[in-house]
Amino acid sequence: MNFTIGNYYPAASPLHRVDPRAKILGSLALMVTLFLFSRPPAMLAYTLFLLVLVRVARIPLRLLLGTLRPVLTLALIALIANILTGPAPWFWQWGILRFSQPGMVTGLTMALRLCLLILTTQLLLTLTTTPILIADGLEALFAPFARFGFPAHELAMMMSIALRFVPTLAEEADKIMKAQSSRGADYDTGGVLARARGLISVLVPLFVSALKRADELATAMEARCYRGGEGRTKLRPLVFGRSDALFCLLLALAMALVLAIEHLV
Amino acid sequence: MTRPLIELERVSFAYESRFLGDSSAGREWAVEDISLELARGSHVAILGRNGSGKSTLARLITGLERADAGRLSFAGLNPLDEEGAWRIRRRCGLIFQNPDNQLVATTVEEDVAFGPENLGLPAAEIRRRVDRALELVGLTQAASRPPSELSGGQKQKLAIAGILAMEPECLILDEATSMLDPASRRSFMELVTNLHRHEGITILNITHNMDEVLAAERVHVLDEGRILMSGTPAEIFRNASRIRSIGLDVPAFAAISEGLLARHGFPLPLEAAGSATAAEHVLRSYFSLREAPKPADRRPVQTPPAAAREAETVVLVESLSYRYPRAGAVSGPAIDDISFQVRRGEFFGIMGQSGSGKSTLIQHLNGLLRPTTGRVTVLGHDPGRPADIRALRRRVQLLFQYPEHQLFAETVREDIAFGPLKLGVPADQINERITAAARITGLEPEWLGRSPFELSGGEKRRVALAGILAMQPELLILDEPAAGLDPAGRDEILSYLHELSRSGITIILVSHSMEDLARLTDRVAVLHEGRLLAVDRAERIFADRRLLARSGMSPPACRSFLGRFAGDLPQLDLDVRTAEAAVDALDLWLEPRQAAPPAAPRTPEAGDGE
Repeated sequence: MNFTIGNYYPAASPLHRVDPRAKILGSLALMVTLFLFSRPPAMLAYTLFLLVLVRVARIPLRLLLGTLRPVLTLALIALIANILTGPAPWFWQWGILRFSQPGMVTGLTMALRLCLLILTTQLLLTLTTTPILIADGLEALFAPFARFGFPAHELAMMMSIALRFVPTLAEEADKIMKAQSSRGADYDTGGVLARARGLISVLVPLFVSALKRADELATAMEARCYRGGEGRTKLRPLVFGRSDALFCLLLALAMALVLAIEHLV
Repeated sequence: MTRPLIELERVSFAYESRFLGDSSAGREWAVEDISLELARGSHVAILGRNGSGKSTLARLITGLERADAGRLSFAGLNPLDEEGAWRIRRRCGLIFQNPDNQLVATTVEEDVAFGPENLGLPAAEIRRRVDRALELVGLTQAASRPPSELSGGQKQKLAIAGILAMEPECLILDEATSMLDPASRRSFMELVTNLHRHEGITILNITHNMDEVLAAERVHVLDEGRILMSGTPAEIFRNASRIRSIGLDVPAFAAISEGLLARHGFPLPLEAAGSATAAEHVLRSYFSLREAPKPADRRPVQTPPAAAREAETVVLVESLSYRYPRAGAVSGPAIDDISFQVRRGEFFGIMGQSGSGKSTLIQHLNGLLRPTTGRVTVLGHDPGRPADIRALRRRVQLLFQYPEHQLFAETVREDIAFGPLKLGVPADQINERITAAARITGLEPEWLGRSPFELSGGEKRRVALAGILAMQPELLILDEPAAGLDPAGRDEILSYLHELSRSGITIILVSHSMEDLARLTDRVAVLHEGRLLAVDRAERIFADRRLLARSGMSPPACRSFLGRFAGDLPQLDLDVRTAEAAVDALDLWLEPRQAAPPAAPRTPEAGDGE
């Protein structure tokens, strides 16, 4: 099985090793900061800062830029909409279409901000942190709310089990589809309705099997002394070390620097 | 004597209602009035058919189910009480049948850590235990890999590691090897034996596999929720007819020595049922070897594959290679440069271990996979061409492993009708086909209106087979049709195949069971690591020790027991497919001594099975 979930890029970099809680909170802080500046010098400074992080994380730049593909259309729409609806002065006029100069500046800022937002979360979270660590980090961050009934541990456990079973169920779905195809089922032709009906012969066995797996897994977990998150320890407990503190400090300094540039330069 | 580790006293239990369960028969005792004791450090086996209540027993001991009546204790702890049950589970690990459904985490080492994490141990201690457990089962190298990348055998070893990390006194195996191939099964049982010998772990092995039972010190046979017999493996297998009457097997050597001794009026001594070596010893002391064979009056004439040489070629595979695409979600073993042909009416076997490419190969025969290079022709069609696939799937049927997982319709009847309807069989013929298919697979008419999900595992499998037969294929391809079934269920399925073959259908049977292949097939192809090692008449394949060793298989048990006499009897016919045939073959060369000598004072060696 070669099955990748999410975008995790395995590498032994200092950024990969940072505590997931620091990365989650750090990317939240950076996201907020992104909305606090809009002038080109600060934008440039922030972009440079991201480039430094890319180097530190040892992630190929092309891979990172590739993650922008899904939002490029959105960024482009934002840009065009701003240009067409923005105020005077216009830098070009064509029929009834007027192209606004301030609109272009706003649009470019918006598009760039959107891209930077995506790049930041990709870089700090998805590319450098395994989904399991993100789940662990979220569990730890939400743990204080557990006393108000927030299922922090349960959510993390669900995430882990889901990730564990994605390849297993994918393989099973493939097998069932092949089995039904052998019996004459056809999943590629016919109208939407016919295809949807055809999927019943795959989905029913898949759900039955998933329920059976869930039942057996629950028994196996109970047999291994699982009884919820209370009193559980971890093989790799999240330890907030000096390097994590340093990481937070660096992020804070970078944010301060970018904001200073926005207001002073 | 100290107190036994596990004590059961008149324990009874019934399931209330079953969630997606196998049978829905009211309130029936799953376990009835069972009393047994397990000494610390012992190795005990519980033998029984599927549905005999043996798995329930494991759940009762660990408090996963609560007994309705009787008294249970594990090291003085009571599984009926919640805290007691939790403390029992810390000390008594349970390994289940399905390797996939007991692994929780996304990496091997995180999974091993799951138990110790639940115990609330400090991180350093968890680390120490995880490393040691992985070392004991030999998975240290795989520590950071996802469990989905492991083979079935490795997954079961990982499950054991997860239990070992909790440092248990006792290990309960609940059909833990029934989904493994013979090589993984051997290696898994070796690991278990080592844990028993060197770590002093008490073993309770719940199984329907006789070979594993031979390694136990004591065996309890369970049938319909009750203990039918208890004793040493030799004592149990001496009662061969009783064992068979409840749908279980006896080891080949026990069946052969029983048949031979009975034929000449000797009672079967105890040790002949305990190990192959002891059985050979008993036979040699009861019989002398003849110079020349007796006239072969009993020996049935073996029918050669009927006119197979002249029959038309149904399947032609020419230098077929296939490699799974790198980026795909689903992958499997590649196959390389495979050529063979199958003729009409033949019963063709494909053998090899898991991962040898058997499943990859057969998926080319009805166009589920297309060759990377090479050519496949089936019934004159090219399964690589979309236009041919439809025509081909009318005439060729493929039954996957665990086919009961593909059932989906509301009733058995609708599920069987699915294939014929897709083929466009006219409505008036469909009922006829369903009835015919149900008859061949022994499905009761009243089952047709029931939901397939109410049936037992073996019954579901017969429904799946009926669904394929209702399409009236000319060529039937089956991937491990008997996997996971108990001996009686296996014999049923195999007897249907035998009938189908006699009715003229060409059959390709994929299996890693040498016994099944020996019993049924005319010719066998041997696959190993994606390559074809040999295609030959079954008896010549089984005679080639070097070939078998190279492909990681061992000869059928009957044949290998006869092999013990081959040194003295060079003309002994080793080509036997069943225990009865082995008795016939050996009988030609044996002369009973006048009086049976007293049985040799020899204790059967545990674990010396075939």
